[in-house]
Amino acid sequence: MRGYHDIGGDESGPIPMAEQPWQHWEKQTEAVRNLLGDSTRRVLSLDELRLGFESFGIDKYTKYSFYRRRLEAMIDSLEKKGFFTRVEIEQELEDIRARWVDPDSCKKA
Amino acid sequence: MTLKNANQTQLRFKARDPVLVLDMDKAGHVRTPFYVRRKIGEVIDFRGYFLNPEELSIGNTAGPAVALYRVRFMMKDLWPNYNLDRTDVLCIEVYDHWLAPIANDEARP
Repeated sequence: MRGYHDIGGDESGPIPMAEQPWQHWEKQTEAVRNLLGDSTRRVLSLDELRLGFESFGIDKYTKYSFYRRRLEAMIDSLEKKGFFTRVEIEQELEDIRARWVDPDSCKKA
Repeated sequence: MTLKNANQTQLRFKARDPVLVLDMDKAGHVRTPFYVRRKIGEVIDFRGYFLNPEELSIGNTAGPAVALYRVRFMMKDLWPNYNLDRTDVLCIEVYDHWLAPIANDEARP
């Protein structure tokens, strides 16, 4: 048995060497993951998260970036554990988008 | 986090022991990549007792902790047609239950 993520040693072709800036939402994702997994909460372990993105399907796995995989697996797991539903998250996102203002708009013209 | 393991007072392996990595055909989250399975390596050292990530991934945090070893493989043993330095090695951490002892005379042709 070999998971779709277990690709060490496979031919990859040329590796793009461009520097990827670390985005704010990626840091937030990792920060939330750390809090959920720490020894006082133990809501979600790193290995649970790994199992999540190693089993949510190769299509998602290849389409998503490193942090997006973690984020999606985190949402899947928290939904499974009954913390919230995807529908609730989508609704929350919609509400936030609706009240979002471009931070640049507070600068003087 | 280093754990003590009451169930396993004596380590199965010591430095320089030849070991065979098992192909456990185990579903779920495992941390032994396919390319070392069924390969013969050599124990470098014992790294401590850790909770089994295969169990952590499904929320079982009660243990027992298992021994983790660093194991060294010749790159030419892992990859067919390896055409770089014939003395290159790969060092990887493998949990005790993925390793089987083999006699010294079986290890070296």
